[in-house]
Amino acid sequence: MHLTDDQEELLENGRFGERKAMEILCALGDVFGADRLVPISSAHVSGVSYKTIGDAGIEFLTDMAQGTRVRARTTANPTAMDRQRWKEMGISDDFAQKQLEIVGLYEKMGVEESWTCTPYLAGNRPSRGDIIAWAESSAVAFANSVIGARTNREGGPSALASALTGLTPRYGLHIDDNRKATVMVDVSSPLKGKDFASLGCIVGEFAKDGVPYFRGLSASESEMKSLGAALASTGSIPLFHIEGVTPEDKNAVTDNLERIDIGREELDEKAEELGADEEPDIVAIGCPHLSIEDLKDLAGRRETRRKGTEIWLCTSRHVYGQARDLLDRLEGIGKVLCDTCMVVCPIEDRSKVVATDSGKAAFYLPKFCSQKVVFDDVGSLMRRFL
Amino acid sequence: MKLSGRRISRGRAEGVGLVSTSPISFLGDVDPESGLIADHKSDIFGESIQGRVLAFPFGRGSTVGSYVMYSTRRNKRAPLAIVNERAEAVVATGAVISGIPMMDGIDVGLLRTGDKMVVDAEGSFVELPDVRRRRAVTSFLFNRGRVLLLKRSEEVGTQRGKWAGVSGYLEDDEEPVDRARQEILEETAIGNPQLKKVGEPTLARGNDTIWEVHPFLYKVDTREITIDWEHVEYRWIRPEEISGYDRVSRLKRALDSLMWPEGSPRSS
Repeated sequence: MHLTDDQEELLENGRFGERKAMEILCALGDVFGADRLVPISSAHVSGVSYKTIGDAGIEFLTDMAQGTRVRARTTANPTAMDRQRWKEMGISDDFAQKQLEIVGLYEKMGVEESWTCTPYLAGNRPSRGDIIAWAESSAVAFANSVIGARTNREGGPSALASALTGLTPRYGLHIDDNRKATVMVDVSSPLKGKDFASLGCIVGEFAKDGVPYFRGLSASESEMKSLGAALASTGSIPLFHIEGVTPEDKNAVTDNLERIDIGREELDEKAEELGADEEPDIVAIGCPHLSIEDLKDLAGRRETRRKGTEIWLCTSRHVYGQARDLLDRLEGIGKVLCDTCMVVCPIEDRSKVVATDSGKAAFYLPKFCSQKVVFDDVGSLMRRFL
Repeated sequence: MKLSGRRISRGRAEGVGLVSTSPISFLGDVDPESGLIADHKSDIFGESIQGRVLAFPFGRGSTVGSYVMYSTRRNKRAPLAIVNERAEAVVATGAVISGIPMMDGIDVGLLRTGDKMVVDAEGSFVELPDVRRRRAVTSFLFNRGRVLLLKRSEEVGTQRGKWAGVSGYLEDDEEPVDRARQEILEETAIGNPQLKKVGEPTLARGNDTIWEVHPFLYKVDTREITIDWEHVEYRWIRPEEISGYDRVSRLKRALDSLMWPEGSPRSS
């Protein structure tokens, strides 16, 4: 990979974090056959929850943070707790202190107070064609597919390396040809609610790391958020197209694409496979984080609280700020938690069964949090457990 | 013997190899507290990566694996160096942030657990000081759709009892094609084989030797041969039957390279 003189200088003589960052970008550039580094307009880093990165992560960030600052606008993923309501979540003082240390290290490097998997709903919304370096697989899928920005599936350290240098190696999804569809998905049934998550889980398994092109589908931004998160969980899918909906659908189709049909039967089968018939300890909505529209829909529901099941509504601090008028009504439904979610908080310390409408959460809760999952639409969950 | 590869993460290290034939996910397959391989299905299950040169084909799994590698270093359980056939993002990133020298482009099938290895990412090579490189020829005789395989006797120096082509070692500056013709005469008593194709040399591992094997394809007019002391049995097989034979290492690869042009679909 070709480096400019300035980039060479940063690699050899930068501060420790800058040198490491350049080493990471050069290694990845070589691995993926990039020809050069290109400037980014924004970064989004993962590797924030203390539960996920542990003490090793703290040491890594401490090393990287010495004297370095981000050179592009940078947001970051959820932490392991609501930074204000962590005591209500049953988080210990020790754990909270470690988590706040991580937050402090990111802030020291100039990362925005964001702590969300939906940076595009929290002010960090790129424009079509922008080159960005984002980690967080669901945000990668959204940025590429719904916005038409360009990012590869970065990991925590590589997104941080891009943030600290303002650069990313040019390969993969930065290049037009790699954004074309690899599989055609014909959807023969109208979708609603959890169907988007089920569809994402089916196609993720099938298309692996390819680019699916959906036909016969209409979807709101919130539904595409759910679809993309599921696609990026059971598969490693960084980009999808929907005919007549997403911005790059026009030139995405090539000849002789493999084709699959998905209808009501497959969707219901997948929903059954994702969930069990259990009594949940916690009902958790908001993976990915709820948008202001999602919160308005919830606030507009007619059900009133009858049962004692704990309900979490997970969103970003940014969207929480937009929802001030709704908070009384929302707190009547459940706890509105910010900065965190059901997957990256230590939910396993206090729960064995979680009910959710998220395909991504249904996929990761058993794997990383030893939870059984109840999988259903938000409406049904409210009727059953509110 | 030196194998050349590509630098992924800077540095140089010397140590004893731990070689896995299957891919590794640092999240899940490696316990960062103990440095032990925790994947029950791995061929190096229960082995410690600490202070070894860890070689495996490629990484797989979650990006959290990069932090797990950092964790092994913090716990003083890190490998001395990493060698891959082809690097991917999680292990490459993990090696860089952890300061572990790493190379790829190395044929991991040539490495053995217990080998002494020098990994020099700066010089872009892996050296195996106790393993020597020797050259050899292996010739396939072809007659009306069938290929000759010979079973090596118990008298020969290496790979006893295995099925092979007509093979022999080269002296220092000998031309491979001269040796090939000589071995055919000695081992089959056929004096007039027609050379049809010269294959790309492939590397194959013996005990303390890596063989650079030069493959040849000869057409012969007869299936009547006379074997010498080096072999106990011979068969004329269809090329696709080779998979069913207990054979010397990389024999199928050598045959495939002669029977089908590079890059076109091959039958398995």
